[in-house]
Amino acid sequence: MQQHLLTAIILLPVVGALATFAYSFLPSRRESNYKWIALGFSVVDFALSLLLIRGIGAGTKDFRFVEDVLWIGSIGAHYHLGVDGISLWLVLLTTFLMPIAILSSWTAIQKRQLSYYLFLLLLSSAMVGVFVSLDLLLFYLFFEASLVPMFFLIGIWGGERRIYAAVKFFIYTSVGSLLMLVAIISLYYIFGTFDYTIILAALTSGKVLGNDREFWLFLAFALAFCIKVPLFPFHTWLPDAHTEAPTAGSVILAGVLLKMGTYGLLRFNLGLFPDMSRKFASIMITLAIIGIIYGALVAMVQPDVKRLVAYSSVSHMGFVVLGLFSFTEFGMQGALYQMLNHGVSTGALFLFVGFIYERRHTRQISDFGGLATPMPWFSTLFVIASLSSIGLPLLNGFVGEFLIMLGSWTSNAVEHAWIVTMLAGTGVIWAAVYMLWMLQRVVFGKVTNPENARLQDLNAREIGLLIPLLVLMLFMGVYPSVFLDRSQASVEAVRSRIPAREAGGSFETATRSRQELDQKDTKSAQRVEAKLSK
Amino acid sequence: MNFLAFQYATPDVNLWLILPELIICVVGVVVMLVDAFVKPTQRWVTGGISLMGLAAAAVGSVWLWLSWRGSTEAFNGMIVLDELRLGFTFVFLVVSALTILISMVWVENERLPAGEFHSLLMFATSGMMFMASAGDLVIVFLGLEILSIATYVMCGFRRTDIRSNESSMKYFILGSFSSAFLLYGIALTYGATATAVAPGTTNIAEIARRLPDAQYPLLLFAGAAMMLVGFGFKIATAPFHVWTPDVYEGAPTPVTAFMAAGPKAAGFASFMRVFLFAFPFVVVAANKTVAGQIHAAWLSTLVVIAILTMTVGNVVAIAQNNVKRMLAYSSIAHAGYALVGFIAAGAAADMEQRNAAIAAVIFYLLTYAVMNLGAFAVVQIIARAGDRRTEVEDYNGIGFQSPWLAFCLSLFLLSLLGMPPTAGFMGKVMVFRAALDQHYYLLVVIGVLNSAISAYYYLRLIIVMFFRERTTAWNAPQIPASIGLALVITILGVFYLGLFPGRVINALQTKPVVSVSMR
Repeated sequence: MQQHLLTAIILLPVVGALATFAYSFLPSRRESNYKWIALGFSVVDFALSLLLIRGIGAGTKDFRFVEDVLWIGSIGAHYHLGVDGISLWLVLLTTFLMPIAILSSWTAIQKRQLSYYLFLLLLSSAMVGVFVSLDLLLFYLFFEASLVPMFFLIGIWGGERRIYAAVKFFIYTSVGSLLMLVAIISLYYIFGTFDYTIILAALTSGKVLGNDREFWLFLAFALAFCIKVPLFPFHTWLPDAHTEAPTAGSVILAGVLLKMGTYGLLRFNLGLFPDMSRKFASIMITLAIIGIIYGALVAMVQPDVKRLVAYSSVSHMGFVVLGLFSFTEFGMQGALYQMLNHGVSTGALFLFVGFIYERRHTRQISDFGGLATPMPWFSTLFVIASLSSIGLPLLNGFVGEFLIMLGSWTSNAVEHAWIVTMLAGTGVIWAAVYMLWMLQRVVFGKVTNPENARLQDLNAREIGLLIPLLVLMLFMGVYPSVFLDRSQASVEAVRSRIPAREAGGSFETATRSRQELDQKDTKSAQRVEAKLSK
Repeated sequence: MNFLAFQYATPDVNLWLILPELIICVVGVVVMLVDAFVKPTQRWVTGGISLMGLAAAAVGSVWLWLSWRGSTEAFNGMIVLDELRLGFTFVFLVVSALTILISMVWVENERLPAGEFHSLLMFATSGMMFMASAGDLVIVFLGLEILSIATYVMCGFRRTDIRSNESSMKYFILGSFSSAFLLYGIALTYGATATAVAPGTTNIAEIARRLPDAQYPLLLFAGAAMMLVGFGFKIATAPFHVWTPDVYEGAPTPVTAFMAAGPKAAGFASFMRVFLFAFPFVVVAANKTVAGQIHAAWLSTLVVIAILTMTVGNVVAIAQNNVKRMLAYSSIAHAGYALVGFIAAGAAADMEQRNAAIAAVIFYLLTYAVMNLGAFAVVQIIARAGDRRTEVEDYNGIGFQSPWLAFCLSLFLLSLLGMPPTAGFMGKVMVFRAALDQHYYLLVVIGVLNSAISAYYYLRLIIVMFFRERTTAWNAPQIPASIGLALVITILGVFYLGLFPGRVINALQTKPVVSVSMR
């Protein structure tokens, strides 16, 4: 079991899909039972993935639960899986969000339930596969395969402009990933293998790619991932896809699919091309900052709640990229943490939007107002989730954003890193502005529209599926070291390969040696963690 | 002269080497005879005999592959035995078998003479096989004509349908035109390879040997160019593709399915045979010698043609409203992708890489055959008798009305698009891998961008089927058993080739056991 745990986690949803499908042939089948089967399998899958935590303790740097079988002999592709501190939490995020997504569709999805749950389960397999593949071809296979179920989820169960959104989503992402395929095959020719660990070992032991080659390879990988993240200016597919997708689709899209982009940047761009990452850092950070501010400003003026949350994703994911390219331990750990935060908080926000949409069939902010009176539970929980998204201390968002900004302040990736940090800091302020303003117009005040006066509050199922998310928000806000300890060594392994900047900048860090900076990093990291865990 | 006289005196007959071809030819004749005696209600008999013949030919090929211990040439070098031939033969047999399964009920429903159809199909298949096994330009032409004439008739098989007639006529005229090009090219090459002591030659290996001291280089260039145009027509590359959409649209759907997969693969077999073996890569001073110049010239022409073919096929397919026409343009685009692998084989300096690239092209054409025949099988069921429903509009909202058909078609379309984990993805990986090996970065980038463009029209059909609601009544068509079988085979094939292609790729790269060095 132990050595096939990852395969089990990947295959279980597929088995679930087959079971659901087989059930649909029973003469005594009931349409309402599909979701129970799907839920059962996703819960078991989550339970299985919890076993992964035991295998990865603080300081685990290498891959665990490794499986390595020859897959296609003639081109040397392997079925190579493994989990380290970076992918562990993303796998858990995926399997954690899946039952919630299924529960959130309980009453919202009335038509074509069978295919709906089939697609959700298949999507779950593909997403886990992305995070645990250590073979580039296998990674690409899962990366692309995750597109198809999402395409159908948006296209069949989505909103009015679903077709446009689904096609845009599909074509945008596949353009980027196809170029990545070219890069993957080129890597195969340089190293004679698709295996990530072997390529990494070759690079670490001194194999030089050459500037030109590394430039193009970095660019091809980065384009695929930046579209997925999405980094400004590749973000235009996101508001459409998020808005038109069914609630569960938005939760998965925001919660997991976007993380594939940032995970890819961390694992492949920073991991395989550290020199080029250093050279591209200023561009990536600039785009991230633009994304943070632009996303926030556009979110502010959205009349549609779901679109507002979607644009807030652009802003939040900008933080993640900023953290990754700060090349400090804080920044990169914070980025990883922020990926999880975003999955939990934004996922929750999409659920709330879904709840009111189910009740009122509108998402326009102007149609609401004073929901606190008829829906106290909804309003309380909605406010908590929003505050977590804003980054209120005690809740998860704070830890991630704080670490990222701490990292970017001390970063030597760009000159005048403090300016970058200040600009990113305004993003947090803008987040407060757009979220609180939206809350004010939706939740608080008087009930302006009589239709809102007799809205049902959340029922037990809805509260039940929110509780794990809210508990997690609080837990991640007060006790981050559970997460950060386990990812620390893996993140540090990536970071340590990124070359220190050559001297010549004007900011004081340039004059210090790298070691000093490192020491400072670790010390202050310990300080911060000590504070946070109190 | 003595050498030649000796050759003619003792004809180098070895029927074992053309065993699969012979089996198919004999089966074609047997089918004709049987057809004369069976009752009209027992038309499936001829189809069954043909399928058995194909299976026997497959066994024969495997035997040649694994156990043949004799010479790899026969008939004075007119027939050769190598992995290129055997790999392609396998593709042709698969295509023919699936075509028979798809057409079994169609022949019945349209009240067409089944025996004639199946024997024509068998003759076409033998033609394709000769095209792959040819070691001589004359055999290439012979095979091509056997194939083409059978296909012209099959296109016009629905005699009373004006579209079918148009298709047949167009194909006949343009096909003859391209055959003429090819023949003229062969003639010029023959003339150009004459030496002081011997007349010209049409033997492919001999041409390659005589290249260094060719007496009339310009004539040779013209000959090669003519042949390139002729083959370009047959495999429908841009700018020689204009006949394709009309012919594919008008021909009966099973025939279209056959044409898009089989003759195209056969065209590739000969095209690669002639250009890779008659005008091969030369190492020294490439620009100085005639051989080097010809090699460089055809290779760079093919690069341009490949780019044009992929782009034209994909871009124009977007604008199509008829599914068969759309698939016709998609088949043009796929010829472009396969050309990428061909170019890689042409540019490869080392034999191992070249054979890997050849195997990649064969694998690509195999995956294309499987997914394309699958897609046409569904199109055939939905079109009903007389090919009435082939517009994109006819597919509106059938996704949940006929879930099985829609699922199958979507799967094949996604495979054509190249999504993992389907066969189309692996096919693309193989050809692009071969091309990247020869440093054709730009070509590959254009190729992948083209697959992104192709997403638009493949997805369009999926969107129409699943994301729209049907407004008019839809009575779901029955899936006949034979087509159902074809669908099961193609679906399994799509997943098998997409997930576990290793075995097949290995087989395609394996040389026949006793292989004299490939020339």
